Amino acid sequence: MASIRTDFDTLVNALSPELYRYAMGLCHNPATAEDLVQETFLRGWRSRDDLRDIKATRAWLYTILRNEHARLYERQRPEARDPAELPDVPVRGYDTSAEAFVVRRALGRIDADYRDPLLLQVVGGFSCKEIGEMLDMNTNTVLTRLFRARKALRELLADQSLLEATQ
Amino acid sequence: MNCLDFRRQLLADPFSKDPEMLEHEAECDSCAPFARDVRAQEVRLRSALRAISPPEGMVERIQLAARFDQGSSSRRRWWYGAAASVLMAIAVSMVSLFSTSIDRGNVALAQSVINHIEDEAHHLREARPVSDARLHRVFERFGAALTGDIGQVTFAAECLMRDRTGVHLVLPGAMGPITVFFMPGEATESSLPVRSARFQGSIVPTSWGSIAVVGEAGESLEGFGERLAAAVAWPQHGLADSSGFFGGSLLLARRLAQKQDS
Repeated sequence: MASIRTDFDTLVNALSPELYRYAMGLCHNPATAEDLVQETFLRGWRSRDDLRDIKATRAWLYTILRNEHARLYERQRPEARDPAELPDVPVRGYDTSAEAFVVRRALGRIDADYRDPLLLQVVGGFSCKEIGEMLDMNTNTVLTRLFRARKALRELLADQSLLEATQ
Repeated sequence: MNCLDFRRQLLADPFSKDPEMLEHEAECDSCAPFARDVRAQEVRLRSALRAISPPEGMVERIQLAARFDQGSSSRRRWWYGAAASVLMAIAVSMVSLFSTSIDRGNVALAQSVINHIEDEAHHLREARPVSDARLHRVFERFGAALTGDIGQVTFAAECLMRDRTGVHLVLPGAMGPITVFFMPGEATESSLPVRSARFQGSIVPTSWGSIAVVGEAGESLEGFGERLAAAVAWPQHGLADSSGFFGGSLLLARRLAQKQDS
């Protein structure tokens, strides 16, 4: 059992940073994001006997996290913070630089249907085919959503630049 | 491939290596700068997301929670295999990333310098000298200081070069304007040539990054980069500060952030 625990710890160490980033991209709330990551790993731990293809572990954990987030929204709407919100005192784990602030705020305003594939591609590094399998949609639909997500992001950031330039 | 298809595919995957896309980008004068802009924005997006790291103690809390969880297991080797495959995938990705970066890094930096000058060619037409106060302010944003005389400057601003910000200057030369980029964090082992049909120059290594000096063909630039390096005191901690991604809009964004915060 100790060996299994050690291997589990290795997996948590290796994957928790990117899963946390993905969770933050979904919910914009540090406390909720941590809960989602913890619940994801615990579900992974409990369901380990069901997984046949160990190569799919990473995608599987992303899918668990995404489903957990969806379930959370079914039960209640968690306190979603404005991604633009900046803590008074910089804290470890959340970059408060201006450029990150502007980009994350724009990202938070994109329709969730478009943002989700974008997060899987940018944070998880998954291919369009893999994203399609995770979201149960064909590759062309994934491509269209990625296109629309980045188009919306560019428009939001362009509006932001225009606003700043006129202030 | 037409421009519409190219832009759709580019926005779906900005770093695609699709040969048709690369061919179109190489041949199309309007899509090439668009592609550079999309990729610069993609770097900003990835940076903003990667800057988020888990709160302190989260990993330990998860591991502790699992220890209290009484799930049964008969497949003792499962986590070993899963952990090994994930670590292997990460290792392969890192090796691939670094080998690609090393192969293309120097060429890409020199090309980025040329692209930047051509994209912002209007700065070459600036004729009025920039005030000393403004010139000093631009360097102060990086914690750097101008300690020597670098002569007349007709343009000075913070700018985005690849995925880092730096200082962009234009100075008058014998054959036409000379462009200078102070590029903190862009390290090169030795001097690199920069060349296009119209421009020529070099990228000179410094202790904090590098300086690109590029003039019109025929301009004598021997030792120019080294003289500029000697005229600017650039702190080592400036490297970390310079890895922002918003180029010219950085200060405006900061101001907005301060407004939101207040």
